[in-house]
Amino acid sequence: MLAFAQLSLEAFVGIFSPIFGQKSWRLSALFSQMVNIGVASLPTVALANFLLGLVLAIQGAGQFEKLGATNMVANLVAFSILREIGPLITAVIVIGRSGSAITAELGTMKVAEEIEALNVMGIDPVKYLVVPRLLAMLLMMPVLTVLGEGVGLFAGWLISVGSLHLDPFFYVQNSIEAVEQKDLFTGLLKALVFGGVVGTVACFYGMQVEGGAEGVGRSTTKSVVTALTSMLAMDAILTTLIYFT
Amino acid sequence: MSEPQTKHKSPYALEVRGLTRSFGSRKILSDVSFKLKRGEILIIMGGSGCGKSTLLRHIIGSLKPDAGEIYIDGTEITKLNDRELSNVRKRFGMLFQTGALFNSLTVGENVALPILESSDVSASIADLVVKLKLELVGLTGFEHLKPAQISGGMKKRVGMARALALDPELLFCDEPTAGLDPVMTAVIDTLTVDLTKKLGLSAVVVTHDMTSAFRIATQMIFLFEGRVIASGTPDEIKNNPDPILQQFINGYADGPIPLKLSKDDYLKRLMQA
Repeated sequence: MLAFAQLSLEAFVGIFSPIFGQKSWRLSALFSQMVNIGVASLPTVALANFLLGLVLAIQGAGQFEKLGATNMVANLVAFSILREIGPLITAVIVIGRSGSAITAELGTMKVAEEIEALNVMGIDPVKYLVVPRLLAMLLMMPVLTVLGEGVGLFAGWLISVGSLHLDPFFYVQNSIEAVEQKDLFTGLLKALVFGGVVGTVACFYGMQVEGGAEGVGRSTTKSVVTALTSMLAMDAILTTLIYFT
Repeated sequence: MSEPQTKHKSPYALEVRGLTRSFGSRKILSDVSFKLKRGEILIIMGGSGCGKSTLLRHIIGSLKPDAGEIYIDGTEITKLNDRELSNVRKRFGMLFQTGALFNSLTVGENVALPILESSDVSASIADLVVKLKLELVGLTGFEHLKPAQISGGMKKRVGMARALALDPELLFCDEPTAGLDPVMTAVIDTLTVDLTKKLGLSAVVVTHDMTSAFRIATQMIFLFEGRVIASGTPDEIKNNPDPILQQFINGYADGPIPLKLSKDDYLKRLMQA
């Protein structure tokens, strides 16, 4: 726990130090990580959000039909995707896709003495390896979340217009009325926090690897499980803070 | 690249005093002491699991000892903080057992990495240094390949080029010839000797390759169960009557070095069966 706090602190100091005139970020490393984490995750994130948008609309329609309020589907979809489902499912996909990859990559480097080699060359592995990954996570998670939410909302609209025969314009208007700007921003705040959680956890477990290929596997499992549970815990905490106070 | 050579603080490039380290209840190193003069090559010999890799990890500052001191050119390194340690580390190069090249970078980028990271040199100067260092290990023209595309021996040579990139004063090699063919072994050995003679480099080489060890050593120490049981010049080591040492350097299967499964146990087990 102490080691985790120390690594996170060092990494965040590394992220902010260029702002105070220290050595700049490694832009090429940052961009390649942003492509890895962000651009490459986009199809999966979009697909997951699309499917959940569909499911939400279908499940919602079943319930609202009993009340004779099918047009409430718009409220349900907009509300739950922006506040909860969008950030959550995006984080789940990123954990599975990129968080695990970061742990495995750093772990393999640790096993192959590459991290030690960096140390011996006088290069700080936190600045060289962790900072670009964590910063890419922090930047890309909100971006992926916004794009995912867009796809999810579209899926809800598609079902509502296509099979529930709701009026397409009325649906959009209903959606907009159902949510506030606050909902969008809190969703994005969540995404940012999730990015920080996933990035630090994935890097921490990667740097912790001991004992060959088996160790890489073990740490990757731990990393995914820890990232998922801490992400859900942060979600609960943030939701309570934002909506109950 | 490096600062103009200032006056050395100590006549010794490396000095280890009373180094002791345990992992749990197992004592890996106990009271290890030795000195290395500038321009000499020290061989650390010993069987598998005798603590020689652990010793090297202490010397490069990756591990902290329970007791004892390590002086690199007169600077005690076991109590330095990370930043001070990384300054000391800029003065030495290390060749890792498997090369420890970064797989995402090309051979050239691997060698350039310590140069670009340690100072504000331009890419074209770094490029020139990379070419020089690769020429030194006989790998000119391989700059653009990825480590996955070259053989194990070549990786080691690239590792050597990278270790030499910043013109270190002190070179550490962890099993530099393990897994190399006899010709490549000779090439690496000659290179190590040349560097110490021409550039005044000092080297610490951990190995259990006896041919290679006697070819390059000016000083040797022999580690057994975490202790230095013999030290001296190659001739002194060769003529040392210690049965453990003789068994090791001549490679006999029978002798005082214990095996995990001794004959008695084996017989007992057979009788019990």
